[in-house]
Amino acid sequence: MESKLSGSATNLVDQLVYPGDVVLDLSSMTNQTIKLGGGLRQDSDVISVMKAGRLRFSKPNKYWVESSQKRYVPHAEDSVLGIVVDSRSDNFLVDIKGPAIAFLPVLAFEGGTRRNIPKFEVGALLYVRVVKANPGMNPELSCTDASGKAGEFGALKEGYMFECSTGLSRMLLSSPTCPVLDTLGKKLSFEIAVGLNGRVWVNASSPSTTIIVANALINSEPLSGVQQKIMAEKLLQRVQ
Amino acid sequence: MEQRLANCVQLTVNEKQFIENALLSELRVDGRGPLEYRKLSIKFGKDDGSAEVQLGETRVMSFVSAQLVQPYKDRPNEGTLSIFTEFSPMADPSFEPGRPGESAVELGRIIDRGLRESRAIDTESLCILSAKLVWAIRIDIHILDNAGNLVDAANIAALASLLTFRRPECSLGGEDGQQVVVHPPEVREPLPLILHHLPVAVTFGFFSNENLVVLDPTYHEEAVMTGRMTATLNANGDVCAIQKPGEQGIFQHIIMHCLKLAHVKAGDITAKIKDAVEKHNNERALQKIKRRSSSVSVDVCGTTARLRGKQNQSGGGKDNSHLDQLKPKDEANFMECDATSSGQVQINKKDEGSKNFTGGPSSWYGKKDPYSECVNSDLLKAPMDSEC
Repeated sequence: MESKLSGSATNLVDQLVYPGDVVLDLSSMTNQTIKLGGGLRQDSDVISVMKAGRLRFSKPNKYWVESSQKRYVPHAEDSVLGIVVDSRSDNFLVDIKGPAIAFLPVLAFEGGTRRNIPKFEVGALLYVRVVKANPGMNPELSCTDASGKAGEFGALKEGYMFECSTGLSRMLLSSPTCPVLDTLGKKLSFEIAVGLNGRVWVNASSPSTTIIVANALINSEPLSGVQQKIMAEKLLQRVQ
Repeated sequence: MEQRLANCVQLTVNEKQFIENALLSELRVDGRGPLEYRKLSIKFGKDDGSAEVQLGETRVMSFVSAQLVQPYKDRPNEGTLSIFTEFSPMADPSFEPGRPGESAVELGRIIDRGLRESRAIDTESLCILSAKLVWAIRIDIHILDNAGNLVDAANIAALASLLTFRRPECSLGGEDGQQVVVHPPEVREPLPLILHHLPVAVTFGFFSNENLVVLDPTYHEEAVMTGRMTATLNANGDVCAIQKPGEQGIFQHIIMHCLKLAHVKAGDITAKIKDAVEKHNNERALQKIKRRSSSVSVDVCGTTARLRGKQNQSGGGKDNSHLDQLKPKDEANFMECDATSSGQVQINKKDEGSKNFTGGPSSWYGKKDPYSECVNSDLLKAPMDSEC
């Protein structure tokens, strides 16, 4: 694709961009600090795209490129769903769908001491926060938020987990609530935990409700807002 | 160790419990009933004998090829059948390239047993020269995407490709009748394999609760289930093979129940395979006729008149035999030979033909009518490849 020069990037925000596209010309902007997120690169005077996806902007000055993949690249401060694969003396080994297994220190729980180390069996599902994620190193996790409180982190009991793309996870976490969750929430009662690593956990009082919700969420990825509402309503009608 | 861990999809305790709980209320995670198959679609490639089957998200491709070889010493009159499976790493992160693993070998064996023991393929028709030359049929199965139940999908793919495979026709020639001439497909229409019946594999999954049985398990159900059984049956209800690889013990009455279910499903699947193959064959036949007619720009009704007119003038037996050698069932052949042998002459004959047509059969004087009789086999034996 030929590069598109744009004085201000407003016409490219929320558009699909490809590697090589120029989104900002710095020579025309003076005395501004701009924060660049993933997928963007500064080449002397211009900001160009490195990764195919949608260009996003958040006030006052953050730009980044968002794309949906099946693989997850761990970043700090992400909330993810991990599966315990092994336990060592000082760490649990937790799989978070990234390139390397992550470590969850046995003391990284609210009020965690050497005396009350939790026992997780192999295959336990945890909602955890990524503390450190440097390329080449195993990521580090924690079951507390930054201030040390447990919050919602910890083991998830019962329910059903399915895997999806990172784009669907972000859509389910967006605010305002995405239409499919709205429509389903009006008729059914369920709880979900969405991991940014492409894992979603659903729990409801009856298995049929769980299955309906899980299938509706999986099917909603390629649909627009209105289509999601229609799909969810059709699914609910078929069941009731 | 970490690399190996990262390769397999992890299963959570939650999933295991949920799948079994949901099955107690006869629900499966993708919304199916316990005894329902996923959506089956069969597609064919450009070559004869290549088929791709999609069962839900599972995709398998199969390709059939044939080669002339020496037969086994103890079966000098029979052709051979061999099955090769390739579990491509793109299908599943746990598949390694290189030597087939245990499940790859097991899959190949199940399909092989279903076809060989039940004598589904007529191997005696594959014999050309007893004890010297027979056709060796080779089925290559490639797994493209593993979403559970590879055995059933691979079996359907193998059957679909066997039904659409065409082998070249051979004839014996030479002074002592020992020379084999393999005719290329442009010269003689290749022949299909003779399949007496279609053995269809149906896979069942069992869980720790003894009464739970599912058909066509998905990837996650396969990881959770504690026992499996594959029954290969044909639409007549004959059991061709049963495979139960250890694991959990099953009561006899459950096994009999499963066999009855498998009979019903085998009938369904056989009908679907036959439908898809028939549609494919019809399309291929249509394509052949369309392709040849582009070389002869006529309207079809004019052909009859033209042919009869041509026969009228061709006083010599040679031309007559030339037309007779063509198989009457394939009208396209007629049109082409007219174009090649008579060239421009045919355009003039069109008018003459229509005039002669009013004369009716009396003008033929005992020359053979290619439409009403079978082809004279003596004329067929004359080597046609020398002419065309």
